Amino acid sequence: MKRLLIVDDSKLMRDMVAACLRPLGEVAFEFAATGLEAIERLALAGFDLVILDINMPDVGGLEVIEFVRAQDRLRTLPIVVVTTRGDDASRARVIDAGASGFLAKPFAPAEILEAVRRFLPGKQPTA
Amino acid sequence: MSERVDLQEFVGAFVAEAEELAAAANLSLLEIEVANTEGTTRPRIVRDLFRALHTIKGLAGMMGVEPIVEIAHALETLIRSADRAGGLLSPKAVEIALQGIGEISERVQAVAERRQVAGIPVQLIATIASIDAEPAATRLIKKIPSGWEGRLTVGELQQLDHAHDTAIPVWAVTFMPSASNVTRGITIASVRRDLAAIGELVRVFPRALAGPGDATGVAFDMLLISKASRDVIAATAATELVDIVAVVAHSAAAVAEIAASGAPDAPGAPDRDDHVTAIGRAVVRVDLSRLDELQEQLSLLIVSRFRLEHEIAAIAKLGHDVRRLREIAQLQGRQLRDLRRAILRARMVRVADVLEPLNLLVRGLARSTRRPVQLVLEAGDTELDKAVADRLLPALIHLVRNAVDHAIEAPEERAAAGKPTTGTVRVSCVAVAANHIELVVRDDGQGIDRDAIARRAKRPIASDAELLEVLTRPGFSTREVATTTSGRGLGMDIVQRVAVAELGGELALQTTLGAGTAFTLRVPITIAVMDVFSFQCGAQCFVVPASLVEEIFEVSAETVSVGPSPPRPGAGASTNSAVSLFEHRGQAIPLLSLGALLEIDSGARARKALVIRRNGQPMAFSVDRMIGRQEVVVRSIDDPLVTVPGITGTTDLGDGRPTLMLDLNELASVYRDRVAS
Repeated sequence: MKRLLIVDDSKLMRDMVAACLRPLGEVAFEFAATGLEAIERLALAGFDLVILDINMPDVGGLEVIEFVRAQDRLRTLPIVVVTTRGDDASRARVIDAGASGFLAKPFAPAEILEAVRRFLPGKQPTA
Repeated sequence: MSERVDLQEFVGAFVAEAEELAAAANLSLLEIEVANTEGTTRPRIVRDLFRALHTIKGLAGMMGVEPIVEIAHALETLIRSADRAGGLLSPKAVEIALQGIGEISERVQAVAERRQVAGIPVQLIATIASIDAEPAATRLIKKIPSGWEGRLTVGELQQLDHAHDTAIPVWAVTFMPSASNVTRGITIASVRRDLAAIGELVRVFPRALAGPGDATGVAFDMLLISKASRDVIAATAATELVDIVAVVAHSAAAVAEIAASGAPDAPGAPDRDDHVTAIGRAVVRVDLSRLDELQEQLSLLIVSRFRLEHEIAAIAKLGHDVRRLREIAQLQGRQLRDLRRAILRARMVRVADVLEPLNLLVRGLARSTRRPVQLVLEAGDTELDKAVADRLLPALIHLVRNAVDHAIEAPEERAAAGKPTTGTVRVSCVAVAANHIELVVRDDGQGIDRDAIARRAKRPIASDAELLEVLTRPGFSTREVATTTSGRGLGMDIVQRVAVAELGGELALQTTLGAGTAFTLRVPITIAVMDVFSFQCGAQCFVVPASLVEEIFEVSAETVSVGPSPPRPGAGASTNSAVSLFEHRGQAIPLLSLGALLEIDSGARARKALVIRRNGQPMAFSVDRMIGRQEVVVRSIDDPLVTVPGITGTTDLGDGRPTLMLDLNELASVYRDRVAS
C-alpha cells in the first residue's frame, strides 16, 4: 500500500487534504503537524509521496524540501507543495528548491487529486 | 468510488477552529498592547499571531469564505512586517488588527449560523494596508552564539538579547531522532514541547547528517533559553548533547556553577504536576452537538428508568415481592447518576475562558466612553456546562456593559469623590453548594439612585430587592433612565430572564449610592438535568425547579382568606378565585391558584401550596396534589414562535407524555398584568 505523508500545521487542513484524496482508494495517510516532525518521519521511514505546507512554525516547507533533497535516499521522493501563497515568485522559489508539484490554496478537491495522481509512482493520471 | 468530494462536511470544524484562532489572535494582540505600554516587544507572540491569521486565511479559502480570506490576508501582511521588525507593532496597528479580527469573528459567526456572510470590508482593508508597522528597533545584539550567526531572525536575536539582559543562560541542545526513541514516544515534537515547558525555545534547525548508510540522517539543533540545570535539560531532550552557549555572569566560576546546577534562583525542574500537565495532557476536541447527542441518549435512558420504576410500583401493588427488582433499579439509578456526572464533566468549560471575551468588551467600552476602566476577572478553576455558559455570557455582557456605560463616573468626578480615576469592574466566580456557581459583577461606580428610580417608577422603593424588581420589569423604560443620573436598567429584564427563568437560578442586587453596585447571579452548573418538584393541577402534571421552591405547605380553609376575584376573560360566576391570602408564621403571603392562572381549574379544592421568593418577597401557588421530587431532563422551548409566558420547557416523567415546566415568577407577572389591565 502506498504511504502518503500530509504535512500541515492545521489539523483541519490535514483532514481536508485527506478527504480530497479519498478517491485514491488504497493508500495509508500519515500526518505531521510541523516541518520538524515531517523531517523526523521522513528520516525514519519510507514514504511514496509528501504533501507539504510551506508556512509552518520553526521549520517551514522550504527547509523540509532542502533537507529531503540533500539526502540521497530521498532525492526522488515526490513532494507536492500546497500553499496559500500562490503567486509566481512563490511558485518559482518552491520549484527551485526541489518540489515536484505546486498547488495554491484554496484548491478544489479534484485539483489535488490530479496532482497527487500525477506524481504518485505507479499510478497514471486518469484522462 | 466517487470522485466528488464535498468539503462542506468540514463547516462545523472550520467554525470551531476559526473561533479558536480568532480568540487566540485577540489574546496575542492584547498581550502585544501590554508590551507596548511596557516599552518591550514580544516577538514570539507576534509570530503566533501571524500563524493564527495565516491558518484562518488558508482554512477560509478552502471553505470559500472570500471576505475572511481578504481580511486575514491584509492583517497577515501587516503582522509579517511587524515580525520582520522584531515584533514591534504600533498601538494604531494593534487597534486596527483587533478591529479586523472582530470582522473575521463576525463572519465566522455568520457561517456558523448559516447566514449570509457580510462582504469584504473594503474601507478596513484599505486602512490596514495604509498603516506601517513600526520600523525595526535599533538595538545592539550583544552576543550571537557561534555557529548560529546569520541563521536567526531579528525577533529571535531580540529574544537572545533579552536573555542576555536578564542573565538567563542560553543552551544549544542537539536531539537525534531514532526508531528506538520513536517507540518510546520520544520524537522531535515531544522534545520540543517538553523543552518549551522548561524554558523558551528560540529556534530549531534540522541538520542532515553526512555519512553513507546512516539510517536516521538527521539531527535537530535547538537554542533554548532556560534557567533549568544541564541535567534537567539533557533528560528532557533525551540527549547528552547540551552545552551552554551564552550567559551573562560575573565570573567564569559562576558560569561553571550555573552550568552545573542552573541559575542561582532557578526554579530548577518544573514540579511534577506542571510537568504532567505539560506533557501528559491528551485533548480531543469534540463538537458540542456530539455531546448533546450523548446527553440526549442519556435522557432517554433516564426516562426509561422512570418507566421501570412505575412498572415495579405497579407489580408491587399486585402484591408481588419486588425487593430484588428495587435493588437492581436502585443500583441502576446510581450508575445513571455516575454516567450523568461523567457526561457533564465532558461538557464543562472553564469559567475563566468563558469570561475572556469581557476583556475585549471593556477595552472597547473604555475607549468609546473615554473613561479609564479596568476589568478584573477572578474565576479560579471553576467550571460550568457549555450550554449554561452560552446562555450566561449575554447576561454578563449586559451587566458589564451597563457598569462601564452608566455606573463608572468620569475621571474628574471620581477624583472629586476621592476615588481612583480608573474605575474597576470586577467579575468573580465561586463554586457554591449543590452544583451551583455564583457570579458577581461588581463596579466601584456611582451606585444606583433608588429615589430617582422610585420617581420614575412612581412607587416607593424600600430595599435593593424592590429596586431589582423595578429594574427587571420588562416595561420599565430603559431609554429614559439610562440617560439620567440613575443610569441603569438597560436589558435588565433579559438578565433576569436568563438567570431565573432559563437557568433556574437567582439574581440579586446590592448597591450603595456613591460607592458601587454588585449584581449576583447564582446559577446551576448544568441545566440539562434538573432537580424538580412534580405536581398535579387539574388533570395535568407540571414541574418546577426544586431550587426555586422554598417550602411546601398544607393548605387548609382556616389559614386562607379569600381575596378579590381576578378579572378572567370569559369567566362566569367564579369557581375558585385566583388570589387569596395565606397566613404563615404570622405573615400574610399572597396565594395564587395555579389552576385559575392556567385556566385549567378543576374545581377541586387545592390542598398544597408551593412557596417561592419573588424579589425577596414570599409568594405561594396552590396546586391540587404533589407528586414528588425527581431529576428530569428538560428540553427548553427555544422556538420564538411557541413561546408561552410562564412555560420554559418540557420534560418526560416516564409516562411518555410531555410534561410542562413552569416559570412561577413569570406566571406571577402574568397575573399582575391581568389585574392591572
